[in-house]
Amino acid sequence: MPILPSTEFLVAHYMPYTELPPEEASRESLWVDIPNSLFDPRKGHALYGRYFHEAVLAEKLGFDGICINEHHATASSMMPVPSLIAATIFAQTSKLKVCVMGTPPNMDSPNRLAETYAMLDVMSGGRLEIAIPLGTPMEYWVNPVAPATARKRHREAIDIILKAWTSREATSHDGEFFHYKYLNVWPRPYQDPHPPIFIVGSGSLETVDLAVEYGFGYASTFSPIAKQLQALDYFRKKTTAAGRTVQPNMFPLTVMTYVAETDEQALAEFEAHAKYYFDFLLRPGEFANLPGYIALDELRKRGGHVLPKSHGKFDWNDLQDFYRVAVGSVETVTNKIEKWAEEVGSSRIIFEAHTGDMPHWKLAKNMTLLAEKVVPELKRRRDISQVPAEAAE
Amino acid sequence: MNIAQKITKPSMEGFERAEYDVAGTKTVVYSIGSGDPVVFLHGGATFPGFEFARSWATDRKVIIPHHPGFGESGDDEKINSVHDYVLHYLDLFDQLKLERFDLAGHSFGAWIAAEFAIEHSYRLRKLVLAGPTGLVIKEHPAPDFFKLRAADLPQYLTADPEVALSLFPEGHDVDFLVLSYRETTSLSRVCWDKPQGNRKLGRWLHRVKVPTLLVWGEHDRFCPIAGASAWEELLPDTKLQVIPGAGHLVFEESQAAVEAARRFLAE
Repeated sequence: MPILPSTEFLVAHYMPYTELPPEEASRESLWVDIPNSLFDPRKGHALYGRYFHEAVLAEKLGFDGICINEHHATASSMMPVPSLIAATIFAQTSKLKVCVMGTPPNMDSPNRLAETYAMLDVMSGGRLEIAIPLGTPMEYWVNPVAPATARKRHREAIDIILKAWTSREATSHDGEFFHYKYLNVWPRPYQDPHPPIFIVGSGSLETVDLAVEYGFGYASTFSPIAKQLQALDYFRKKTTAAGRTVQPNMFPLTVMTYVAETDEQALAEFEAHAKYYFDFLLRPGEFANLPGYIALDELRKRGGHVLPKSHGKFDWNDLQDFYRVAVGSVETVTNKIEKWAEEVGSSRIIFEAHTGDMPHWKLAKNMTLLAEKVVPELKRRRDISQVPAEAAE
Repeated sequence: MNIAQKITKPSMEGFERAEYDVAGTKTVVYSIGSGDPVVFLHGGATFPGFEFARSWATDRKVIIPHHPGFGESGDDEKINSVHDYVLHYLDLFDQLKLERFDLAGHSFGAWIAAEFAIEHSYRLRKLVLAGPTGLVIKEHPAPDFFKLRAADLPQYLTADPEVALSLFPEGHDVDFLVLSYRETTSLSRVCWDKPQGNRKLGRWLHRVKVPTLLVWGEHDRFCPIAGASAWEELLPDTKLQVIPGAGHLVFEESQAAVEAARRFLAE
């Protein structure tokens, strides 16, 4: 089956700092305690310039949006404050949506976060989308939030943001973790009642429940296909039980993608960057082991490890076999995307187009082939298959 | 002398086990021996076991509750301060009909014991604080427990890391990992953001009106012995017993520490 009508295509860019000295490859962790003497502000400045240029290129190539993330004290993302990145991209573009995926609301003042996002939505004329994460274990070492209460605080913070966005008069909040005598967001969001919201999850059913409860979309992190499908199945069942239907745009399909002339060339051009990303940038060391972060039965399921053992380890065969990774020719990538979009029933396709220390020319090549070959081919196949159906009517 | 044994689960053979419902929270209490009661409050983990209690039990009844969130007791996420633990133990001691008794604690358990003594001195006869945490000592800060790497833990726990290692299970033991994750989580509810302890404890320690023995390993890296003098200055009636050659797990490392506490309680 071809892709769905009104499918949207987005790119994801995690804007890593890629200029670490090679001798740092032996570090146990690239997060939390990595000395910032290793960050060269001049190189960082140049990278920001390059990455914003690439966001603008995404718009010029016709992508519908760009997804950005938030991580702290790590070279894997230069976006500890992603709303600043969103503001900058909005200022340099006119149609591109930005999905901020996102600030863990329990780590910010929830009202201030509601204000920040509302400002971005108004400034951009309604081009903001947000995805709400709990944050990786690593974020909690550098933010003053006790992990044992993180989930409860997370939920309360979401309630505050929604209350602030949907109330048309000054209101208040008196909860376990936050107290606001007055809650009154000025400016209020451009989109009514607020920007589209997704919950970010890695497959834990507790997180899917949260998305269902609020009626939000569910955005899978980079997790095994089987786990994503389990989450989707659960998401559908629970949503149906709640008397609603999962819309095709509520469960985005996120695919790590690289396109080149042939499968062999794509792999040759891509593999080193994936290795850099998984083996090096994502290596959490002991900081993954955060008390209170996950439920005990989940910890037991994971064999006593808080993060899956694969986090920070590169295994190309494992990636290709069990994850949504499409690296190859236009034909190969198109076929995979088409199959997976059908499998998930999604009308929202996110290409993780930049991986690790991928240089600009490869990203530009990858995005251009996606925009000018893969996406048109997906649409062409859809249009062909629709003709007989219409003719038959 | 090393009395530690190679055990995955501490041997509780010879102890009596009882379960109590304390305001809805399952609380497991082990006891051994007979005589005047001494309650022992364990530290931030139950894996070191309670072998030392056998020596105390020759002429005393030693009562060892597992804290909520630790060992075999149930979880209660609403218990998230040392004061909550004090209130929990008031409930339990009422159920146990303990009117006046001796109280001993190690590490985090000593912190609870100290706060209990501040508020309820009149119920106590004597107090033993071994390698206590909880007192913020600016000049001699303790390491942040939550930041210690698992691999470094043995050398923080005992003067000879081999002694601590002998208390850990061999190889990858999921039960052990889940238990220690749960206990560290419970501890984090109390002091994730205040690993040095209760900033007000020093303000109130003068209220501990009972004879107190401080038992301290000479090489304690968890609660550096340099901090002992701050406790001595603040507690009205106290004696410091330094245990040569021992680290933080004094009662697992040194029979001399076990004996010193036993003698003090017998006086």
